[in-house]
Amino acid sequence: LPDIKNIIKGCLAGNRRDQELLYRRHSARLYAVCLQYSGNDEEARDILQEGFIKIFENLVHYKHEGSFEGWMRRIVVNTALEKFRSNHNLYRVDDIDLIPEPDADPETEDYSGLEAVDLLNIIRELPPKYRMVFNLFAIEGYSHKEIGQMISISEGTSKSNLSRARMILQKKVSYSMGVNKKAVNG
Amino acid sequence: MADGNVNIDLLFRNGLKDYEVLPPPEVWNNILPAVRKKQKPFVFLRAAALIAVLLSLSILGYRWSREIIIQMQNPELASNEESTQYRNNAGSPGTAVKSPAVKQRASKTKNMPAAQLYSAAIPVLDGPSISPEENFNPGNDLLKSGKLFDMQDYSAVIQKSIFQAVNTKNKVKDDLKEIPYKELKEKTNKWSITALASPTYYMGRDRSVSDVADKMGISEKSMVSYSGGVSFAYYLTKKLSIQSGLYYSSVGNQIDGISSFSGFSPYDFTKGDHNFEVFTTNGIIYTENSDVFLLDRSGDRVITKYNNDVFDPAKANLSYVNNTLYQNFSYLEMPVFLRYKLIDKIIDFNIIGGVSYNILVNNSVNAHVDGNNYYVGKTAGLNSILVSSSLGMGLEYSLTNKISLNLEPTFKYYLSPFNMMEGTKTHPYSFGIFSGLSFKF
Repeated sequence: LPDIKNIIKGCLAGNRRDQELLYRRHSARLYAVCLQYSGNDEEARDILQEGFIKIFENLVHYKHEGSFEGWMRRIVVNTALEKFRSNHNLYRVDDIDLIPEPDADPETEDYSGLEAVDLLNIIRELPPKYRMVFNLFAIEGYSHKEIGQMISISEGTSKSNLSRARMILQKKVSYSMGVNKKAVNG
Repeated sequence: MADGNVNIDLLFRNGLKDYEVLPPPEVWNNILPAVRKKQKPFVFLRAAALIAVLLSLSILGYRWSREIIIQMQNPELASNEESTQYRNNAGSPGTAVKSPAVKQRASKTKNMPAAQLYSAAIPVLDGPSISPEENFNPGNDLLKSGKLFDMQDYSAVIQKSIFQAVNTKNKVKDDLKEIPYKELKEKTNKWSITALASPTYYMGRDRSVSDVADKMGISEKSMVSYSGGVSFAYYLTKKLSIQSGLYYSSVGNQIDGISSFSGFSPYDFTKGDHNFEVFTTNGIIYTENSDVFLLDRSGDRVITKYNNDVFDPAKANLSYVNNTLYQNFSYLEMPVFLRYKLIDKIIDFNIIGGVSYNILVNNSVNAHVDGNNYYVGKTAGLNSILVSSSLGMGLEYSLTNKISLNLEPTFKYYLSPFNMMEGTKTHPYSFGIFSGLSFKF
C-alpha cells in the first residue's frame, strides 16, 4: 500500500489517483463522524463533501506532525460546526421524547450488548444542540469553556445541555438494552 | 451519578471509536470537480511558468544550434564569396574572354574555391612576363596589345583579375582606416524605460511560525492580485544594468466562515473604537463600520462583547451580507534590481534579481454584496514598509532597435513579515509573469 506521505504528495501535485485513494481510505471513518454530528443523511453527506474539499485545499498546510487521521477529523468536525452555526437559528431544543424510565442503574449496567450502529442511531436522535455539546465534550474532549466559544453559548448552557443529553442517552440506551434483552429472552 | 455519566460517555466514545460507514458514491463525484476547479488557477500559473521556461530554453537551443551550423559552414561560405567575387571580375566587360579554351577552363573553375583557382593560375605566372605596371594599370588591355595568345591570354586575364581582387580588398581596407573610430563603434543605448504588469499569485505563507497561524490559515485563501508599473534601467555595461522604478501591487486575502450582517448601528452602544476584532494570519481586523455585525461560523476568531449569548442577528432582523471577508493591502513598490544579460540576440535572455521596498498605501477589509464592497474595517499591526526579494528571468524580444517586448516570470519573497502580531508573523511569497514593452534611448 502506498505510504500516506506519498499519497499526500500526489494529492498536492493534483494526481487524481492519489486524491481518490485518500478518499477511499478515510471516507468511511469520516462519514461515521459526519453521521454522528448530523440528524439526517443528507446533512452528513454535505458535511463529508465540504470536509473533504477543505482537506484537499489545506493539505499543503499539513506538516506531518501528529496523526493525519486526527487532522482530517478536526477539519470534518469544524465543518460540522460551521453547518451547525449556519442552521443555529433553525434548531430548537425539542422536548424529550416520552421514553419509559430506565430499569437499570447506569453506574452498574453492562452496555456491552449494544452495537456501534445502535449507539450511532441513539446519538443521532438527540436534539441538535444536545448532540453537538455531547459530541464535543464526550467524544472530542473539549471543555465547556471551549464549547461555549465554539457554538456561542455560555459555559453554564453547555453544562446543562450536556447533562440533558446524557440523561436522554441513558434513557434511550437502557430502553434499547431492555428491548434487546426481551428479544434475546424470547 | 458522576460515574454513570463517565460510563455513558465512555460507552459512546469507545463504541463509535473505529466505526465506519461507507458513504454514497455520489459524494466523491461531487468532491472531485470542486477540488479540480480550485486547483485550476495554481495549475495554470505553474503551467504558464513551465511553458515560459521551456520556450526560453527552446529558443536558446535553437539559436545556439544555428550558430554552430553557421560556424561549421563558415569556411566554405567565405570561399564561395571570394570565388563569386573572382567570377564577377573575370566576367567583367573589360576582360572580354572569348577563347574556347578559356571558356572551357572558366567553366571548370566556375565553382572552384578561390584558393584552388589561385593555385591553378600560379603556373601561368611562369609564362611570358608581364610587367607590374601592366598588371596594376587598369587601362592596360593585354588582349589588345597582342602580346599574349590562348593560354597565355587566359593566364594573363586570371592574373589580372586576381590582382584586381587583391587591389579592391586593399582599397576597402584603406577606406576603412580612413573612417573615424567613433563612426565604426556601434552606438549603444544607455537607458531604457519599461512598462510592465502581471497577475500575481500568492502561493502561500510561512506557516511554521505557530499553530495559531495554522489554525487560522485553514479558513484563509490568497487571492490572485495584480501588480504593474514603470521602471528605468541604466546599462552599466552592455550586459549588466541596474533597474529601478515605481510599481503598484495589491495583495488579497480571503477569510471564510466569518458572517457579516448590516444594520447593527441602532444596537451599537459601545463607546470604544471598534465593536469586533477578527484574528487572521495577517493581523487583527478592527471593525470601523459601526453598522457591521460579525459572527464566526467556524471557531473563535471573532472577539466581541456582542456574542451570541447577548445578541442574535436573526432576532434583531439584521441583513445578512456575506460569509467571507476580504483583506486588501496595496503597496507602492520601489525596486532596485540588477539585470544580467546572458544571451544577447534577437531574443535576449536576462537574469533579474534584487530587493524592493514596499510602502503600504491601502489597508481595507470588505465583504462583498451584489458585486459591491461593503466596508468592514482595517487590519491592525501591519508593517507600513516591507522589504521583499525577487528573482526572475526575462525574455526580451526586439521589435525594433529601440522597442522590445518583455516577458519576466518572477518569484518574490517578503523578507519582512506582513505584521508584527506575535505568533503570526507571516512571510508571503508570490509568483507573477510580468509582460510589457520597453523603450531604449
